[in-house]
Amino acid sequence: MTAATKKTVLLVLRHSPYGSGLAKAALDAALASAAFDQSVDLLFMGDAVLQLQPDQDSHPLGMKTIGRQLASLPLYDINHVYVDAQAAARYNMDLSKAPLQTRPLGGHDMHQLMVGYDHLLGF
Amino acid sequence: MILHTLNASPSSAAFTDCVSIMAKGDALVLMGDGVYAALAGTKASKTLQQTDASLYIMTADALAAGVTNLAAAVSRIDMEGLVTLTETFPRQQAWY
Amino acid sequence: MIYSLLVLSSPFSGHSSRRAAQFAHCVTARGHTIHRVFFLDAGTLASAANSVSAQDEESPVTGWAELADQHGIELAICITSALKHGMLDQVEADRHERASPTIDAAFTVSGLGQLVDAYASSDRLITFGG
Repeated sequence: MTAATKKTVLLVLRHSPYGSGLAKAALDAALASAAFDQSVDLLFMGDAVLQLQPDQDSHPLGMKTIGRQLASLPLYDINHVYVDAQAAARYNMDLSKAPLQTRPLGGHDMHQLMVGYDHLLGF
Repeated sequence: MILHTLNASPSSAAFTDCVSIMAKGDALVLMGDGVYAALAGTKASKTLQQTDASLYIMTADALAAGVTNLAAAVSRIDMEGLVTLTETFPRQQAWY
Repeated sequence: MIYSLLVLSSPFSGHSSRRAAQFAHCVTARGHTIHRVFFLDAGTLASAANSVSAQDEESPVTGWAELADQHGIELAICITSALKHGMLDQVEADRHERASPTIDAAFTVSGLGQLVDAYASSDRLITFGG
């Protein structure tokens, strides 16, 4: 692969972990980015905050557990993870128990965050 | 500046999330089921206008859906209009 | 300007995949370069060679295949998603002991590294979902 120029990229996740293939697709895209030395940051918005629910175990469904895979992201130097504070509050989530360390943001701050990147990938 | 593209109806979480991020200087293109947010006299179209972003709708999608009664702030564009917007705006966020 | 597209939508649900193909045609017509179109998740179904459309409907493959034929645009489908959705080229069909390939020749099976290369090499990355 020839990554001519580095770009700053934010993956904007918006969907629940097991309701579609999008959470897994985003996770795979994040891991691939790290593998090719292209840093990405993540923003969990809306129902995507449910991907951060602690104590997930999807093995009975015959699927890999998204939460457990998210916990491995810091090993790949993916350290900037942001979360929609309002969505987390809607589901009464305790983000200190999430598989990843996250930074909660309000609507205005999310806009400010997004305009700082070259590319936004909406999953 | 963000170019938002919305392909989901006004009752979706995608619509709500999109609106929460939209700001002055941004543009929104309604496509697919997103076109229903442009209907004149609806809460959705009023909500969009309050964001102060520029509002566009894909003509073909609006026609397909029978969405002809557009809120005044929404401009019709064709595919070339969409490409032009992507030339102007450095980044796009897809809401669906 | 250099563009890449990320297509996540299934061609069999809604209009988003077709819209993406029309967008790509228009981008090219305006003199821009498309570095790559990358298909991920249900988006990979755009390559379905064996899909049979109703007589008055255009096959979802056609618009994409024209892009590859007329402009040499690379249509890359993510291997993980493609295998999951039954989209196999000859190599994968042989490897997984399936009777025949299922994707149109205009598409190539690729790794996610090609998505990374696409956004790293492009001025614009336009996502089509839903």
